[in-house]
Amino acid sequence: MIQYASIILFVIGIYGLFVSKNVIKMIVSLNIMEIGLNIFIISIGFVGGGAIAPIISSTQDLGLIFVDPLPQALVLTAIVIGVGTTALALAFAKTIYKTYNTFELDEMEESA
Amino acid sequence: MNAVLLIVIPLLAAFISIVSKKIAPYLLLVVGLFNIVLLFFLENGLVFIGGFDVAMNSDLLGISLLLDTYARMALWLINGLILVIFCLNFKSYKAFSSILLLAMAGLNGLLLTNDLFNFFVFLEISGIAAYLITSANKKPVSTFRYLVIGAIGSSLFLFGVVVLYAMYGTLNMIVMIQAIQASGNYAEVILPFTLMFIGLGVEAKLLPFNAWVKGVLGHSNTLTGPMIAGVYAAAMSFVLGRFITNLFVFEGSLLIVVTVLLALGILAGDVMAFSSTKTREILLFSSIAQASIVALLFVNGVIIWAVYLIIANALSKTVMFLVINKATKDVGSDESEALRGLFVNNKLVGLTFTLVTLSVMGLPLLAGFVIKLNFLTQLAGIGQIVLIAIILVASVIEGIYFVRLIVKLWYPGESEISVKYNYSFKAVFIVIALALLVFGTYSTPLTKLDNTIDTVMEVVNNG
Repeated sequence: MIQYASIILFVIGIYGLFVSKNVIKMIVSLNIMEIGLNIFIISIGFVGGGAIAPIISSTQDLGLIFVDPLPQALVLTAIVIGVGTTALALAFAKTIYKTYNTFELDEMEESA
Repeated sequence: MNAVLLIVIPLLAAFISIVSKKIAPYLLLVVGLFNIVLLFFLENGLVFIGGFDVAMNSDLLGISLLLDTYARMALWLINGLILVIFCLNFKSYKAFSSILLLAMAGLNGLLLTNDLFNFFVFLEISGIAAYLITSANKKPVSTFRYLVIGAIGSSLFLFGVVVLYAMYGTLNMIVMIQAIQASGNYAEVILPFTLMFIGLGVEAKLLPFNAWVKGVLGHSNTLTGPMIAGVYAAAMSFVLGRFITNLFVFEGSLLIVVTVLLALGILAGDVMAFSSTKTREILLFSSIAQASIVALLFVNGVIIWAVYLIIANALSKTVMFLVINKATKDVGSDESEALRGLFVNNKLVGLTFTLVTLSVMGLPLLAGFVIKLNFLTQLAGIGQIVLIAIILVASVIEGIYFVRLIVKLWYPGESEISVKYNYSFKAVFIVIALALLVFGTYSTPLTKLDNTIDTVMEVVNNG
C-alpha cells in the first residue's frame, strides 16, 4: 500500500515539474518527487511478521527477523544528495531572481 | 595502489582546494597528471572496498570497482581532456578548479564502479559539478532547467535500480547480470531497464530526453562547451555503452522502440543542425546525432568502433567548440554570417578546424572515415541494412551543413573580423588534427583491439 502512495507522490512531483512555471514551485515539486522515491526505497526493505530494526545488540540475535538495512543506507545517501541538489537549485533560483526580478519563467526571456 | 585512488585523490583535492583557493588550480593540474600516470601502473581487475558477508555471499554488499581496457581508455580520455581544457582556460576560469576536481572524481567513479547505487551517487556528483560548470554561461534559467531535467533523470535511474534490488537482492552489477541470466525472465526487467535507460539518456543527450542541451550548449563558452560536449558526452556514452552491452536486455518490442528512438535521434539531430544558422547550435545538434549513433552501435554489439567513435567525437567536438566559442566571445555573435571569414586571418586554426570537421563527416584519410567504414561494415555483417541507410542519409545531411559552415568560415564577408587564438589553443588544435590524420592514414593500431576490451561478461561467465 505504502508503495502505491510513494509512486503517487513521485508522479505528483513530476507533474508539478512539468506544469509549474514558477522556479520555487518547481523546486518544491522536485522535493515531493524525491520524497516519493525515498519512501519507495524504504518500503522495499520492509519485512513483515514483527521485524525489528537492524541494530546489533549484546543479546542473542539469532532467529530474529530484521528489516533489510541496505535500503535504509541507500535512502540516507539519497536524502543527502537530494538536499545538495535542492540547495544548488535554490542558489540558482536566487541568481535568477537577481537577474530577472521574478521567479516566473514565463516573465523572463533569455536572449542569446 | 588500486583504482580507488582515481576517485579518492580528486575528491580529497576538491575539499582541500575549497580551504585554500590559491592552490586549487595547481592541485587540479597535479591531480590530473597523477591520474593519467597512475593509469599506466594499475592492473586490470575487480577491487572490493568495505562491505560485509551476507549469508556467506562474500562481497555482495560493498563498494566494487572494475578496471578493464574499456574503463582505462575512457579514464585516459576523460582525465586528459579535463586537464587540457582547464589549461586552456587557466586564466579565465581559475575559480572553477574545485568544481573540475569534483567533476573528475564523479566521472572517474562513473567509469569505474561496478555497483549500481554507487553509480547513482557518482551520477549525482558529476551532475552537480556539471550544473556548476554550466553556471559559467551566465544563463541561470538554462542551468536551472538542466538541473531539473538532470534531477528527474537521476531519480528515474534510482527508481530503476531500487526495483532491480527488490527483484534480485543485490546492487553488484556482475552478480545482478548472473541473477538475471539465471532467472531468464527478461519480461520482468523491462520496467527497471526502461527507467534506467531514460535516466542515462538525459545525460547522454539522447532524444527525447535532451531538452536541456540547447539552452546549455547554445550559450556555451570555451570552458562549458568542451566540458559538456566533449568530456561529459564521452563519459556518458562510455557508461551507457557499459550498461547497454552488459546489463540491459533489449529484446522484442523494447529493442524496436529503442532502435527507432535512436534512429530518430540521428535524423532529428542532423536535420535540426541543417536548419540552424547559429554555429553553436549546429555543433550541439550534431553532437546529439553522434550520441545516438554511438548508442545504436552499442545496442548492436559493435563495441570497439563505438569506443573509437566516442574518442574521435570527444576530441573533435573539443576543438570545434573551442574554435567557435572563442570566436563567439570576441565577435559577440555565434551566427554563421557574423563569423564569415573567421579563418582568413587564422589559417592554421582554419586548417585544423576543417580537418577535424571532415573527420566528423567521415571523409577518407581521416580517423572518422576508418571508424565509419568499420562500423558500417560490422552493421552490414549483422544485416542491419536499414540502420546503414539511416546513418548514410544522416551523413549526407551532416556533410551539407558542415561544408556550408566551413565555406562560410573560410570566405570573407563584407566586414573583416578579428579573433586571436593564443599558442596553447593552436597547439591543442594541431595535436588533435594530426592524431585524426595519423589514425586515418595508418589504422593498423585501431584494429589491434576488439570487442573484448569490455570484460564484464567475461567476469560474469568465468567468475
